[in-house]
Amino acid sequence: MLSRVAENLYWMSRYLERAENVARLLDIGLYLELDAPSLSVEDGSAPVEIALEILGCREPFQAARSTRERSAVLDFLTFDRSNPQSILSMIARARENARGAQESLGVDAWIEVNRLYLYLCGPRAQKRYRSSPSSFYTRIKQSCILFDGLLHNTLPRDEVYHFVQLGRYLERVDVMGRILHAKCLALTQGTADADLALQIVRWTGLLRSCSAYAAFLRVERDRVEPVGVIRFLVLNPDFPRAIRFCVARCRESLQEIAGGDDDEYASEAERLLGRLDGELRYIDVGEIFERGLVPFLDGVKATSYKVGEEIKHSFFLT
Amino acid sequence: MFGRYRLAAYDEMFASAGVPRPHYAALHERLIELGPDELERRDKVADLTMRQQGITFTVYGRDQGVERIIPFDPIPRLVSAAEWDRIERGLKQRVRALNLFIHDVYHKRHILKDRVVPADLVFGASGYRRECVGLAVPRDVYVHVSGIDLIRDAGGEFLVLEDNCRTPSGVSYVLKNRQVMKQVFPLLFEQYNVRPVDDYTDTLLAVLRAIAPPGCDDPTIVVLTPGIYNSAYYEHSFLARQMGVELVEGRDLVLDRGQIFRRTTRGLERVDVIYRRIDDDFLDPLAFRPDSMLGVAGLIGAYHAGNVGLANALGTGVADDKGIYPFVPDMIRFYLREDPILGNVETFRPLIPAHRSHILANLESLVVKSVDASGGYGMMIGPASTHAQREEFARKITANPRGYIAQPTISLSRHPTFVQGHLDGRHIDLRPFVLYGEEITVMPGGLTRVALPEGSLVVNSSQGGGTKDTWVLHETAGRPTPIAAPGPFARN
Repeated sequence: MLSRVAENLYWMSRYLERAENVARLLDIGLYLELDAPSLSVEDGSAPVEIALEILGCREPFQAARSTRERSAVLDFLTFDRSNPQSILSMIARARENARGAQESLGVDAWIEVNRLYLYLCGPRAQKRYRSSPSSFYTRIKQSCILFDGLLHNTLPRDEVYHFVQLGRYLERVDVMGRILHAKCLALTQGTADADLALQIVRWTGLLRSCSAYAAFLRVERDRVEPVGVIRFLVLNPDFPRAIRFCVARCRESLQEIAGGDDDEYASEAERLLGRLDGELRYIDVGEIFERGLVPFLDGVKATSYKVGEEIKHSFFLT
Repeated sequence: MFGRYRLAAYDEMFASAGVPRPHYAALHERLIELGPDELERRDKVADLTMRQQGITFTVYGRDQGVERIIPFDPIPRLVSAAEWDRIERGLKQRVRALNLFIHDVYHKRHILKDRVVPADLVFGASGYRRECVGLAVPRDVYVHVSGIDLIRDAGGEFLVLEDNCRTPSGVSYVLKNRQVMKQVFPLLFEQYNVRPVDDYTDTLLAVLRAIAPPGCDDPTIVVLTPGIYNSAYYEHSFLARQMGVELVEGRDLVLDRGQIFRRTTRGLERVDVIYRRIDDDFLDPLAFRPDSMLGVAGLIGAYHAGNVGLANALGTGVADDKGIYPFVPDMIRFYLREDPILGNVETFRPLIPAHRSHILANLESLVVKSVDASGGYGMMIGPASTHAQREEFARKITANPRGYIAQPTISLSRHPTFVQGHLDGRHIDLRPFVLYGEEITVMPGGLTRVALPEGSLVVNSSQGGGTKDTWVLHETAGRPTPIAAPGPFARN
């Protein structure tokens, strides 16, 4: 397929995945702050504000807004077109990319992303956002999921599909790494017994912001504590938001695109992903904590960045 | 419904006040049954459908990114079988002659030697391409796709207003309008036997396959677009999708050893036929405008070498120049030895002194057009003009008589159109699309454009025009054949 179209599909997919994650983060963040007002601390790690950290836009936010109020953070991350990480900006870019790849996506999928964009630009979105932020963010998540479902059920399993998958899962590896990185500092600090209830709220919040709470309860069958949560979100092979799962999907799609297999890799991106995949398969959660969660996540992030660069050079700049 | 309807010009629906023409009778009745509220509701559904599908165009000369849908009017325009028969024959005749003219101009130039068309007009046309002289194109076909704009005068006579032989757009709206109408007004279709238009893209694909370089059995075809910010991008994407071929931009293509390739995720792959939606001037920065970012460097070289097929061929702009337009009926007589089936609009040419003085004396009643502009740009409608505009055009005409033509202001036919909750007459035209491959085919129908502001005669979408679905009717109203019911579903 055309390199330009592949690039369009890949970025469309990444932006939609990121936008969906931001919507979920903000939705859960709000929910947590309402649930436990004491979480709204002043050090910037409050559930809503921490989204700035995760998206790497704390400085642009401070430059753009004179306040740290929650409503300003929400607006900055949702509707602000001058912020490239806002949901609206990302959906706009996803749509531009989708427009350039309409022939590959199919009409229905294109309509869905176009509709989401037009909705976000219009008065109905503002109205819904003001009356119930949660239902507003849910609308965005649902639209992203519908889009995903359309592609799953209409695209042949060819290059088009695999570039979409590659974009989605690579973005998810990146976002998951960022979320864990930003939240784990606050989460792994030793806590007095009095704070234990609050810690559980936080850990639960982390799981919820990854849509992982129910699945976690079924799989880990344990009370919510750091080791189990990290094991689940990083190393679980079956949960679609676990880093290990996402890395494996990236690798599969890349193999389909470039023609490599388990014995031999066909591109540098595949080699990097294969190595990370192997590590995630055989590492023990205890080893992660020994090594330090933050250095471990930094490693994952560095690999996902390198993989992105390799994909660009191998497929888009031909 | 028709309470405030006023008759003026040639009315497509009404023969006289309250009396519909025979082929409109069923539609007339159905509209009255539906009533304004229901019509309004369905009109909104149609609008929403178009917007969500991104069937938009970009308006030039404003901030980039102003996307608008072309207003869609839900009242279909009907063309009877007899009317269509004449139009179809007339269009085939005209396109055949235009194509022979282009071939002649770039080869033996009989028509110039016989002084049927003045040579200086041809060589001075902005669409004339020296690069094409002596160049052979497959089957001598140049105008693979054309859109011929027709209007109806006060007597109901169909006349050709202009020929579009370069990259006419609008066909995607024809196909989309039909889809939307079927969704929104399914019952109306049952009352009429409407000729389908969906095979347009199949025919287009066959035309494109036929111009592949010799020896190429399974050609790779692409649609070349200027990109997502072009006003017709939706159409380019739509056509590529319908034909199942790739949509490419200039930057996706590259020349290598005389062949055109596209850049893919697996390296360079060959391209055999390009349906280009980019004007000649921008196709190849080496051959034409060096500042063009839209084209492919070296494309014209590959074309000359016969390594790639182009539709439309290069240099077709010489035939749709408005300065050449007055001579098309003569071309038909010259090449085909037939009388034109479809007439031209009377046209005055400032190059002729008598015409010039007539034009300058009657600017208030004439329409003046720049010969190489389109889309409703560069024209002046006398009756709607200001004194200053007339002065300006008088100066321009005197300074550059080759650059303009003038025509009497024709009151285009009117059609019931849904405006502000009721039906009123609005002026319309018709752009049928003609494909020229092994033979000439005319899509039954075309784009009916409607000037939405009251009294306006300008139908271009860039100037506030809308569109209607156009129904070419079969001779007889047909009954759908029943389909045998399949067996029952499995259940537990």
